[in-house]
Amino acid sequence: MEQQPSAHNEPDLALESEIAGLIVSALNLDIAPADIVPDAPLYGDELGIDSIDILEIALVMSKQYGVQMKADNEDNSTIFASLRKLAAYIREHRSK
Amino acid sequence: MTLIPLLPASDSSAPFAFHNGVSIDRAAFYRQVLTLAAALPERERVLNMCTDRYWFAVTLFAAIARGMLTVLPNSAAPEHIAAVAAVQPGLLVLGDQAQSPLETLPYFRVDTLPADPAMDATAMPHIPFEQRVACMYTSGSTGAPMPHFKTFGRLQLAILAGAERVWGVAGAACSVVGTVPIRHMYGLESSVLLPILAGGRMSTRIPFFPADIASALAELPAPRLLVITPFHLRKLLEAGIVLPDIAVVLSATAPLSTELAAQARRQLACPILEIYGSTETGQVATRQPDLESDWQTLQGITLEQRDDEVWAVGEVYETPQMLNDTVELHDARTFRLLDRKANMINVAGKRSSLSFLNAALTGLPGVVDGVFCLPERQDGEEVERLVAFVVAPALDRATILAGLRLHVDSVFLPRHIVFVDALPRDGNGKILARTLQALLAQHLPGRS
Repeated sequence: MEQQPSAHNEPDLALESEIAGLIVSALNLDIAPADIVPDAPLYGDELGIDSIDILEIALVMSKQYGVQMKADNEDNSTIFASLRKLAAYIREHRSK
Repeated sequence: MTLIPLLPASDSSAPFAFHNGVSIDRAAFYRQVLTLAAALPERERVLNMCTDRYWFAVTLFAAIARGMLTVLPNSAAPEHIAAVAAVQPGLLVLGDQAQSPLETLPYFRVDTLPADPAMDATAMPHIPFEQRVACMYTSGSTGAPMPHFKTFGRLQLAILAGAERVWGVAGAACSVVGTVPIRHMYGLESSVLLPILAGGRMSTRIPFFPADIASALAELPAPRLLVITPFHLRKLLEAGIVLPDIAVVLSATAPLSTELAAQARRQLACPILEIYGSTETGQVATRQPDLESDWQTLQGITLEQRDDEVWAVGEVYETPQMLNDTVELHDARTFRLLDRKANMINVAGKRSSLSFLNAALTGLPGVVDGVFCLPERQDGEEVERLVAFVVAPALDRATILAGLRLHVDSVFLPRHIVFVDALPRDGNGKILARTLQALLAQHLPGRS
């Protein structure tokens, strides 16, 4: 579906930076939260994040925002494609 | 020559597999196996890359029916697959994906054939006890993958011995949900072969997130067995979600702490059974960590001390198999695990050897010297990530990670890479453990 540009589709920069901070502290990464490029892939060589880390991130997201990640309902490669995609998913599904 | 039926006689209308609310009975599963067996092109060896547990099982038993060896690589790292393919010529990839998962090898898709209604249990082939049916791999200390062959009859004996223990604790044969890789020994034995050969039922899914585990369990009739790793178990408990009744939790691949076992028993109100085993030995023994510190071997397996090593012996083995760990024997069937051998490391249930990882690191172009090290695990952590000290003046972190990714499973990639001018090797070229700990303290205070 083609998405129309609207206020709702603008990236939530505050939420992105908050989630970046949660990821860096949960995974004990060697970098500062601001070093995570919002559009860059979370998986892969840059951050070295793998499936174990994804489970860790999912747990933090459920604690912090009340979002239960599911592999069979949503396409995780989309949700975890980038910090921006993850933040958009959390904004849409958060219950706290 | 002893012959065994490919699949056990059973109530053909008994439900066997569950997927998204659809149940598949034993007769339909057997028909699917025999249909695929008749359709497979002639090969000596196949690589089973199915992602769905049901299709993995259909493909495994179809290959056995045709006398083909199923090769099961221990990681999807491209260099590992290439090394395996080099020593297993003529490999055909079997999978349930529209696109071949490995483009360099020929591919045959297994999940599109309608089951032939003429195929039924009366057409069940009989398989020689000594037929080699699976080739598993460990990463040897030099980096060359080490094959371990499993024969049909011995695999079946081991599974029935395991079933006696696990079903015994559960009170009956179970419906099985497994979160673990199906191409590794633990997942193959406990989440695939156990339900097939010992009258259980299986979920076709390999759930990952806690909510997925809950929904996979809910699809199955009780009693339910959850096959999981300590790391995944801790995350499941931390998520604090509502789960259906579980009869037994099975844990393996990494030590399960007394504390985590006790917490799991409190939260899930069921026994927590830990399995001791390895790729070479398969499942050897079990214990309930919150109740007992000793391990009890499975029926038909005994342990023997020979010089400094302990060997597992029994009809389940073609030849006795050496244990990878230091154990204290109380008698031939009970023991205490004293120490994991120092060279072997375990990250979230996956095993490798430090010498293999070090060889991969120092083999990268531009790396002058390098060493991996595993920091002490901190309280409450089920997983600890590796650190690498590297001498590589012209390389950056991303280049080293990209190079390593070709050779090693991603869980073994170093979380921290510390660039140094030289490594403090002693006169024998070794780096002492205490030297590494000092390096850690110096470069990563708080993690040493």
